Amino acid sequence: MNWPGIDFHTHPVLVREMVRRHPHLEKAARERFYIGNTYQPLETLHLELDASGLSHAVVLAMDARSSGKGTVYSNEEIAELCSMSDRLIGFASVDPGCGDALPRLRSAIEDLGLRGLKLNPAMQEFFPDDERAFPIYELAQELGIPILFHAGMSWEPGSRLEYGRPGRFEAVAAEFPRLDIVLAHLAWPWTTEAVALALKYPNVHLDTSALYFENPKDFLSFVMSKQIPLGVFEHSLRKQILFGSNYPRVEIKNMARAVRSLGFSDDCLDLIFRANAERLLGKRKLNSRAVEDEAWMAGGVAHGGVSS
Amino acid sequence: MIIKLERIEVQSRRDLEMIDITNEVDRVVSASGVRDGVVMAMTTHTSSGLLVTEGVECLERDVLAHLERLAPKDPPQGEYNYWHNRYLDYDGRLGFNAGDHLKSILGGTQCFFPIENGRTMRGGRQRVYFVEYDGPLARTVAIQVLGEGA
Repeated sequence: MNWPGIDFHTHPVLVREMVRRHPHLEKAARERFYIGNTYQPLETLHLELDASGLSHAVVLAMDARSSGKGTVYSNEEIAELCSMSDRLIGFASVDPGCGDALPRLRSAIEDLGLRGLKLNPAMQEFFPDDERAFPIYELAQELGIPILFHAGMSWEPGSRLEYGRPGRFEAVAAEFPRLDIVLAHLAWPWTTEAVALALKYPNVHLDTSALYFENPKDFLSFVMSKQIPLGVFEHSLRKQILFGSNYPRVEIKNMARAVRSLGFSDDCLDLIFRANAERLLGKRKLNSRAVEDEAWMAGGVAHGGVSS
Repeated sequence: MIIKLERIEVQSRRDLEMIDITNEVDRVVSASGVRDGVVMAMTTHTSSGLLVTEGVECLERDVLAHLERLAPKDPPQGEYNYWHNRYLDYDGRLGFNAGDHLKSILGGTQCFFPIENGRTMRGGRQRVYFVEYDGPLARTVAIQVLGEGA
C-alpha cells in the first residue's frame, strides 16, 4: 500500500540489483560511502517506505571526481534505478570542479528526466559561496529544480567540516532568490545558524536527516525542541522543512517515527512529509520547457522514470 | 554420511514480524536424501531470530508484544538505558537498535529437529518461525542436514 509522502534524502547504495549490474557500485558503497550493511533487493526499499507511511523517495547521485573521491552513483545509474521503480525520484549530481558540470546538469534534467541536483561541498571540496559554482546555481534556477546541499557535519573521512557552515550558503540564497535550496541534516551542529538563514530567506529549506548521537527520536527531540523551540519550525518554518532520512545510514521508519513524535500539528506534518517536497519538485513544471509527469498538476506525486 | 547446507532468503515486510518457514525446512530435509539424522537452522543476523511455537496468529502477536515489552525499541530511561546508542565507525552509521538485538538473544537464533525416515520429526503443533525484529529486510537463514541416507 502506498501513502502520499516523500523521503527527500536517500542514498540507494545498497540496492542489490544495481550492484549486480554495476559491480563498481560495491566499491562505491564500501570505500566512498563507508556503509557496511548487506545489500538488499529494491523491494526492501519499497517495503521500508511502506513501513514508514510514505510513497516515494528521492535517490541521490554523487559526483566528486575532482576531489579524488569519485562517483558514488552517476546520473545515468540513478536514471536507470528510477526506471526500475515508479516510487523513486532521481536527483543528479555534478562536480563544480569539473569543466563538464553545466552540460552534464542540463542533460541529466532534460535527457535523463532527473528532478533535482545534489551537491556535497565537503565531499566535492568547494565552498558554496565560491563564485565558480554560481553558473551551476544559475542553470538550476533556469531549469526550475531544487538543489539539495549537504550541510553541517560530515562523517566521511577526509571531508572537512568547514565546507558545511550555513553562513557559506547565504550568498547562494541571496543571489538566486528563485532557486530553492535545501540544507540537509538541519546543518547540525550549526542548526541555529541554518534556522536564521531560513527565517531570512524563503528559498532556504532544511531537511530532517540529522542524526549524530543517541537515536533519531532523542536527537531530533534535542535539536528541534530544545536547541531550537519546536514552535519556530511549526509557526515560522512550516513551509521550509522537508522530511529526509539519510537512508541507509538511518532507516526511514526510524526517522519518520522520530519526526512524528516531536509534537507537530497534523497539518504541519503533512507539509513536512508531503506538500513542501511536492512544491519543490513540481516547480520545474511551471518554469521549464521539459514535459513532466501530469500527476503533479493533478496533485499527485512524480514518477522517477527516464523521460523520453 | 550426508551433509547438506542450504541458504534461504527470507524477505520480511514489517518492522516486527513472524514468518513461518516450516515448509522450507521440510523441503531442504526432503531434498537432502537423509533418512535418519538431524536438521539445524540458524539465522545469520543479530537482530532477527528463529523460534519454534504453535502456528497461530494470536500467539505470534503475543510473542512479538512480550519481547517488545522485555526489550523495547525505545531506550528505557535511567539505569537500563542502552549503551548501544552511538556511532559505529565500522558500520558507517549509528547503532541504536539494542532492543532488537536483545530480542534476538531472548528468542534465540537457532533450532534443531531429528530426522526420522526422511521426515522432520516435530510435534503436531510445532512450527518453525523466522522472527524479524528490525525489518523490513532480506535475511538469510542457513539450514543444514546431517545424517545417513537410505
